[in-house]
Amino acid sequence: MLRGVALWAATTAAATRARQVKRHWRQRVLAALLHARADAAPLAGIAGAAAVDEIEALDPYLIRYAPARANAAIGPLLVLAAAASASLVAAGLLAATLLPFVALMILAGGAAAEQSRRQFAALARLSGLFADRVRALPLLLAFQAEAATTARIGTAAREMSARTLSVLRIAFISTAGLEFFAALSVALVAVYAGFALLGLLPFALPEHVDFATGFFVLALAPEFYAPMRRLAAAYHDKQLGEAAAERLEAVLATPPAPTPRVRPPGRAPGLRFAAAVAGAGPDLRIGPLDLAIPSGGIAALMGPTGAGKTTLLRLLVGAAPLCAGEVELDGQKLSEAGSFAPLIGWAGQAPILLPGSIGQNIALAAPDTPRARIAEVAGLAGLDALLAARPGGLDALLDERGSGLSGGERRRIGLARALLKPAPILLLDEPTANLDATAEAEMIALIGRAAAGRTVLIATHSEALAAIAGQVVRL
Amino acid sequence: MSGSALRGLVRAELARARAPLRLAGLAAAATALAAVLLLGVSGWFLAGAAAAGAMGPAAVLGFNYLLPSAGIRLFAITRTLGRYGERLASHAAAFGALARLRPAIFAGLAAAPPERALALSSGEATARLVQDVDAIETLFVRRAAPWAAGAAVLAGVGLVGLAGDAAAFGFLAMAVLQTLLGFALSARLTRAAGADLLTTGGRLRDRLGAVLATGPELHCHGLTDRVIAQLMEQAEPLGAARLARWSADGLTAIAPTLLAGLTAALVIWLAGPAPLPLVALAALAALAAMEAAGGLARMFDDAGALAAAAGRLDEVLAAPATVTTGGDGLSAVPISFGPAILGTAAPLVLAPGARLALTGQSGAGKTRLLESLLGLRAIPPGSILIGDQPLDRIGPPHARALFSLAPQNAAMISGSVRDNLLLGAPDSTNDPRADDRLWEMLDQMALGARVRALPGGLDGWIGEAGAHFSGGERRRLALARACLREAPWLLLDEPTEGLDADTEAVVVAALAALLARTGRGAVIASHRPAPLALCGQRLDLG
Repeated sequence: MLRGVALWAATTAAATRARQVKRHWRQRVLAALLHARADAAPLAGIAGAAAVDEIEALDPYLIRYAPARANAAIGPLLVLAAAASASLVAAGLLAATLLPFVALMILAGGAAAEQSRRQFAALARLSGLFADRVRALPLLLAFQAEAATTARIGTAAREMSARTLSVLRIAFISTAGLEFFAALSVALVAVYAGFALLGLLPFALPEHVDFATGFFVLALAPEFYAPMRRLAAAYHDKQLGEAAAERLEAVLATPPAPTPRVRPPGRAPGLRFAAAVAGAGPDLRIGPLDLAIPSGGIAALMGPTGAGKTTLLRLLVGAAPLCAGEVELDGQKLSEAGSFAPLIGWAGQAPILLPGSIGQNIALAAPDTPRARIAEVAGLAGLDALLAARPGGLDALLDERGSGLSGGERRRIGLARALLKPAPILLLDEPTANLDATAEAEMIALIGRAAAGRTVLIATHSEALAAIAGQVVRL
Repeated sequence: MSGSALRGLVRAELARARAPLRLAGLAAAATALAAVLLLGVSGWFLAGAAAAGAMGPAAVLGFNYLLPSAGIRLFAITRTLGRYGERLASHAAAFGALARLRPAIFAGLAAAPPERALALSSGEATARLVQDVDAIETLFVRRAAPWAAGAAVLAGVGLVGLAGDAAAFGFLAMAVLQTLLGFALSARLTRAAGADLLTTGGRLRDRLGAVLATGPELHCHGLTDRVIAQLMEQAEPLGAARLARWSADGLTAIAPTLLAGLTAALVIWLAGPAPLPLVALAALAALAAMEAAGGLARMFDDAGALAAAAGRLDEVLAAPATVTTGGDGLSAVPISFGPAILGTAAPLVLAPGARLALTGQSGAGKTRLLESLLGLRAIPPGSILIGDQPLDRIGPPHARALFSLAPQNAAMISGSVRDNLLLGAPDSTNDPRADDRLWEMLDQMALGARVRALPGGLDGWIGEAGAHFSGGERRRLALARACLREAPWLLLDEPTEGLDADTEAVVVAALAALLARTGRGAVIASHRPAPLALCGQRLDLG
């Protein structure tokens, strides 16, 4: 009865602690993911699995296995001591079963660990395949490939089942072995005590056994293996937890982006690319690029798709590695600074939105900005029409998905955010892609006005946009 | 578990897995029976031996110790083998069923009304398959628990009954109490908590995906810590739900341990007048039986998560009600767009082989119109006619066979270049000459050199959703895929967006040649003059 209450208290305490432990892990994993150097960053699917599933997969380890392990270390000793107080021989018999039992557990457990890793790989593949095919469902429907895809998912699921089952086939050997030794300990004690009471044992007894003693040790015998049976029930939890922790460690080992060491230049700086080569992947290099943008100048990077325009922009913020050559910002070297990010306002194609008002989203990086200033940059970025149409204007609330905003409106919020930052350099990634001619012309006019007093580098396909640039580099 | 679609599937799988499930049940029953008998007979043997030993050598010689000790060995072995058999058989049944359920769920998703199926985002969908389906797994694995509990209680009643009817009734009452208590506790504590886990996790995963896509912006504007804080906040309900779930789990574990001791005491008290060996047998049997029957409580534990998972799966699997008419002879007939879909007074008719330019501002509905043709969106009844048949009355298999799409987002499936191209040419899987056709098409789309440079060529990996390819490369791959599919109409959504002028010229020339050679019709949505120049008719959506 006491054991029941203790068990519950232990579980609750372990669960509370597990929540703290997981919070700590999640914080570190998210930081590793979001601070990762771009060329080393895990794919989105792996990142999602790590930050959600693999952290939660630690639960059974922390809550069930860890307390069970402590109990398994102490519990049998207590039972043994209690048994020894009544009958030394019975206690000896119990202890003797322990040796072959431990040997079996080590053998079976080692084999299960290897299998368990394989099972995790299969699970990740299955989950990735299904997620991908659901995402591409409109495409698959349009190409009438739903039957073929269903068959492929079936194959993957069968493979996964086979793998899981092979893990369990070994894991269950230890279950059965435990069952055997638990039964054996009961049988040995019963036979010993019974024959001692009958006086039929072929050797002289070092102790006197009466019925009360015999019954007591017999009732204790099942308890000897009970903590270990609970531990074994949690053994699979240990395997899963350790495999998850291993994969989380791999994510934590992701090299972080360098901390930028750069001094503010005091005015719009000149930017000079000297035979600069950027890495866009394991074996893809962009460049060499030679380009000198004067203080306050506008330059456009153009070129065929895949030529690496975005990669060259990412180079400046440390999101792509500098493989050769140099980039200088008024004499400060990128190879020494690591990144010019503190001096850069960036407007990409899909800006991040957080739950809060439109105004708060514009001023995310500088929450203390006076409202008038936010309204001013919002106007500069062409948000006036949106703000007028939304009840509350700047105070209109957005959720983290930015529900209800069009792609163009999101991009304008991103541009306003970049303009609000008192950064002397502005980087724009395809600011007019997917806009129709009217919207494109409006955006080009906005960019022309916003560029005043800044050095601007734009990656674009649009000849019209490139026309406002003082320099155009065709990659 | 409510609703019909999932229940039907699960029932079919239960029927299919009847043999291994029955084996698991029998093995579980044998294990429980052996555990109860082992302890009971041991107790009886001990007490019998004590009595015989006290009566002197004659009684000892008359005491049959061979039978009980043989029984003890038999029960020990039965218990070991039974446990292994039960675990393996029940898991084999569960996994066999799940390998069939997973594709069935995807097929259900594909057959559901497109608006509903397409509203799923990827993270939630993953949770749907892997976790919901895993939750269903417990249904199969726990099928053996009632057998074990039943055998344990029966054996318990039988053995305790040897020490008198009163003891047997007392034991039975306690066993029933334990079961009811386990059920009540789990139902109250675990249901709500379990249901929370899956949805919260899915939302968190989706959000992280969106955040990771905005990397450089986070760096430049120093938003990373804010974003991490927001994600951590979003993860809090998940932590709370897990904590509640585990506390409940711990609470349901108390009942059996509490009751086992009480039951043994009760049995000894009620069996008082019976001979000592029988009392010993009854008490130990009751102890073992209560423990074995406690497994039933676990069966109720996952009820909450299971019900939530089943509910969501059901929603996905609900079969659409599609009324279809025949689909023959549709490939060489005109397509008519009625006022209800165009929003204009005059209808528009496309003769077979005609090419229609679709223009208009962003958001005017160009993509929507293409998706409507593919049956991915609901349309007003009769607003589009294929020949004289309303599109909405033609089954999707017949309607979709008419069209080949190059989508606006140039969506790719994760896999190789070949995986993607074969969507358009599924018949050429094992034909060596088919490769020539794929290469020819890639060359026409100015993509041959890029793919030849890829490690593995056609079998080269294009990354998650084509991530190793640039936007323009994906677009050309999507065009190649669309052109490979032999359908009478090409639907091209922004076919040259993101291409530089030279590449655009190559691609447009290839499209012109292909359309001229095959006589296929086309509907081309674009902002750009070059692809629009291919078209003889024009529809401006404003």
